[in-house]
Amino acid sequence: MRSIVIGMLLSLILAMVLSLSAKAIDYGVSPNEWSATVLGNEAEFIDPMSFNDLLLGIHTDLFGLIITFILIASVTARRGRSRVVMIGFLTLSLLSLLTYPIGMLFSSMIGSSGVILSLGGFIVFHLLMIMGGLDSLIGLLRKKF
Amino acid sequence: MNFKILQFVTLAFSTLVILQASLGALLFTRLVGFTPHDVNLYYGDKSLHGLLEVILPHTLFISIALMAVLHFLAFIQTIDSRTKKRAIYLLFTLFFLDQLSPLFITLGLEFFAVIKIIAFVGFQIALLWVWILIFRETLKLTK
Repeated sequence: MRSIVIGMLLSLILAMVLSLSAKAIDYGVSPNEWSATVLGNEAEFIDPMSFNDLLLGIHTDLFGLIITFILIASVTARRGRSRVVMIGFLTLSLLSLLTYPIGMLFSSMIGSSGVILSLGGFIVFHLLMIMGGLDSLIGLLRKKF
Repeated sequence: MNFKILQFVTLAFSTLVILQASLGALLFTRLVGFTPHDVNLYYGDKSLHGLLEVILPHTLFISIALMAVLHFLAFIQTIDSRTKKRAIYLLFTLFFLDQLSPLFITLGLEFFAVIKIIAFVGFQIALLWVWILIFRETLKLTK
């Protein structure tokens, strides 16, 4: 059982790193590049993303990210960390994960601020999942739980 | 865990899964339509190859995702086995109906448009229920 969870955590951490890399290639790494991809840029002749494509992208991303969150949170909760750390981890993860789709969906109304919020949420969520995964992985390797 | 924080975390998670289901429903409505007539039109025009391009990745990835989610449900000892069995049978039945209905629609069985809509909505709701069930029991561990 221990080796299955170790394998799963390693795969999920790798998936998070790959997800960040894929987004960096597709959308760019700076807020300006994200805004140009989602909202378009007349000066550079970049068309905005269609609403259907945006919906499809968010829906697909969110499905994978919710599953990742459930799996990592389920293991991390058994790690035996203090209540404050667990509350902080769960709350921050959920808030950042909520910010990503909401920022994207409202970007057509609030402009680039929505895209920047979304970018922030996306990066924070991935970093938290990588940290939570690594913390549980180290605990498992040391046979702490 | 402080009750208000517990409520907040549960609310945030519920909002997330409801948002995900709404996005799926919105996407389905925009691409396919809302009524059995729209569903028949959409799938009736598709070739078998076009249909397989949609069904194949969905069948592969959703079955893996279901296995991952349901195996966590199986590990939770505070949920009785009857509820677990119900969740497993319900999710897989709705999943198969949802994925296979378009095939029957292209074969001319228009009645499957209604089954497709019911299975799609039912699958979304059942998955939300299982996600919330797992998360609720996980929160109990942090008390």
